[in-house]
This record gives sequence, structure tokens and C-alpha cells, in this order.
Amino acid sequence: MIIDFKHTQSAHCECGVTANLINHAVKESDPQLSEALAFGIGQGIFFGYLPFIKVNELPLTTFRCPVGKIFKSVTRSLGIDVKWQKFSSVPKAMDALDMELDKGHPVGCRTGGYWLPYFPPALRFHFNMHNIVVIGKQGDNYIISDPVFPSVVECPAKDLALARFAKGALAPKGSMYRITRVPGKIDLKPAILSGIKGAAKSMVKTPVPFLGTRGIRFLGKCVEKWPEKFGQEKTILLLGQLIRMQEEIGTGGGGFRFMYSAFLQQAAGILDDPRLTPMAEQMTASGDLWRRFAVKAARHCKGRATQDDSVHAMRQVLNACADIETRTFKELLSIAG
Amino acid sequence: MLEKELLTTIVELCNVQEDIPDDFPMDAPLVGPDSLLGLDSLDAVEIVVMVQDVYGLRIDTQDQAREILSTIKTLAGYIRERGNL
Repeated sequence: MIIDFKHTQSAHCECGVTANLINHAVKESDPQLSEALAFGIGQGIFFGYLPFIKVNELPLTTFRCPVGKIFKSVTRSLGIDVKWQKFSSVPKAMDALDMELDKGHPVGCRTGGYWLPYFPPALRFHFNMHNIVVIGKQGDNYIISDPVFPSVVECPAKDLALARFAKGALAPKGSMYRITRVPGKIDLKPAILSGIKGAAKSMVKTPVPFLGTRGIRFLGKCVEKWPEKFGQEKTILLLGQLIRMQEEIGTGGGGFRFMYSAFLQQAAGILDDPRLTPMAEQMTASGDLWRRFAVKAARHCKGRATQDDSVHAMRQVLNACADIETRTFKELLSIAG
Repeated sequence: MLEKELLTTIVELCNVQEDIPDDFPMDAPLVGPDSLLGLDSLDAVEIVVMVQDVYGLRIDTQDQAREILSTIKTLAGYIRERGNL
């Protein structure tokens, strides 16, 4: 059977799954959730530079909130109930999935994207945070609404099982979730305000220097010292890792700033609050600067950096990003606070 | 021709070392493992920023970028369509 489920493509998997699952569950008369609204209400925007946490032996930089927070925040603030399950055994996890599908429930699953065979080989890498919605089963193939793909895809059961039980950091352990109840009426306004407030707090009210806009400045300070501290070869590795996190995971750095800008534009309309429009423009300006930073870093990696791309120049770009985002989120906090 | 102009700009911008034949196929993959110019995602960021600076066109999401930067031809098509050339 295949559940009648509206598949909408998105740039970022968790936002896409959140929007698609909620839009399926609510009444037709309720407002539909866009990917950008899911990202904003879910407090997705963030920054953290955590040199003490290593990914592939290089420091972790994040441009978004932790995995799972978007779906949890959106459902919580809209009053939607969700059933979460994790499993210790593959057969139990697949049986539980089949049982939900038999009842006509679309099911969100966290997977290791590397094991999903419908991903083109060039895009397959070990990333255990890829969210999908399973919407049916035909023979031995599952029918999947994977929001980063333009249309519904099929996946053999053995591959989906591998993806649901991918090993390594943040192993999904068969994690699956489904919406069990939606309130009588969906009211986006308070959810948007609380999403803005939560995100703004995490960006400008952090107690530690490596998170939020202070974290952006901290990163700039570190980048400027990298060649002296680590030498040219490791600096290139560090810059490469940084812009990979920025541009290649999800919609990445610049991209997430653009998505937040789209959220603020939509929020301005829904809340009928024109003060949010210039905030959206500021976030676009910050996204553009993040991209300029990525270009400078890429030139180092490619051995074509000029004087304009020096680590000092890169620090200045990051400071400019931090200035814009500090101003924007302080203003947002005063609007939503 | 816009395609030729883009090819020249990209070759220079991304410091492509290979000799580019006169009959370079404009519908060949631009970025990725099959790129004839040897361009990867780091070069793609450079091209995205160039398109914004030179042609005033924003490419915001990665999906958009993937589609538009498929080939020189798709990039030129996007610029012609959106840039009113």
C-alpha cells in the first residue's frame, strides 16, 4: 500500500520532513507549513564553533541547531503530539514500521544517508542525520518521501534497514516518529514568535564564547591564528572542513542564513509586522558575507589565494557577519520578547 | 556568445590548468567527478558568487545551485532567463 501523502521537495531534510508530516496531519483549512516556517519556528538558525569536538579529527562547526530540535520545537509549539521510538533490533524496527504503514500512518525515520541506494554515488557520504518519511511498501520495496529529492523514491527493505541502523557517530538506532494528534486549530502566530525568541536567545544570549554571534567572532580569531599555530597544510584542512560544513551539509552556512531570511519574510506577512522585513534583508546580507568567507577559504584550499584572501581578511568578514547577526537578533529579541 | 564568456571567466576564476579546446562541449558536466574542467564544490561556491557579482543574480539554495551549475549551457540559460539578457 502507498499512503496518499503530498511530497514537497526541500533544501534541508529535517525541515522538509517536519513540514510534509505536519501538512499531512492537519486539516485542509489549517495553514500549510513551508520549509522556511518549519526552520524558523523550529529555532533552526544557530552558530557554534566547538574546537574540542572533532569530526574526522577536525573541529566541529555548526550553522544550525542540533539534529531533531527543529521537529521537536515545531510540534511542541503547535501543540502536536508525536510518538518516538528507538530499537535495539533490526527485525523489531522494521516490523514496527510495517505496522504503522498498515494503519495508514506516514512515518519519519532518521537514517544514514550513505546506505540509501537512490542517492547518486557522488552525494553518498556517511551522515547519520538524514530524515525521510516512509509512506508505503510495495513487495520488498519501501516507498519513501525523501524531501531532498524531487519526487517519491523506492528503497529495497534491506537497504532501508542498513540505513536505519547505520553505525558510527549519532547512530540512528532505528529511530522513527509519527504524529499521533493535532490540535483542533493550528495557530502559527504564537509559534512564530516563540521560534524567533528562542533562536535570538541562542544567538545573542549565550553564556559561552564559542556559541552564537560570539562564536562567530571566536572562530574569526582562531582562523587568523591557524597558519601560525598549525602551519599551512593543516590550515588548509581546517578551512576545507569549515566550508564543507558551511556549504555542503544541508543548505549549510550561507544557505541557512538565506532560509532564515525567507522565514522572516513569511513571518512578517503572517504576523502583519513590517519590522521583520528589514531583519530578513539583514540575514540575506549576512548569508552573502558567509559565502564571501567560503570563497576566500576555498581559494586557500585551491592554492589560488591572493592578498585579499588573507586569514586577517577572513577574520574581518566573520566579524562583519557577527556584527550583522548580533544587531539582527537583538532587534528580533526586542520584537518577539 | 554568453556560453563562451562564461567558460572564459570560469577557467580564469577557478585557475583551470587544462587546455580548453575551441569546441568545448557546453553541455558537459560543469562541477563534480565528471567535470571536464575538474571543478568541485569549492569552485562552485566561487562561481555562485561570481554570478551574483557580475550578473546580479542570486543562487540561494544548494539544490538551485546544483541544477543551474549542471553545465555551462544551463548556467547561461539561467542568466538569460533571469538576467533579461
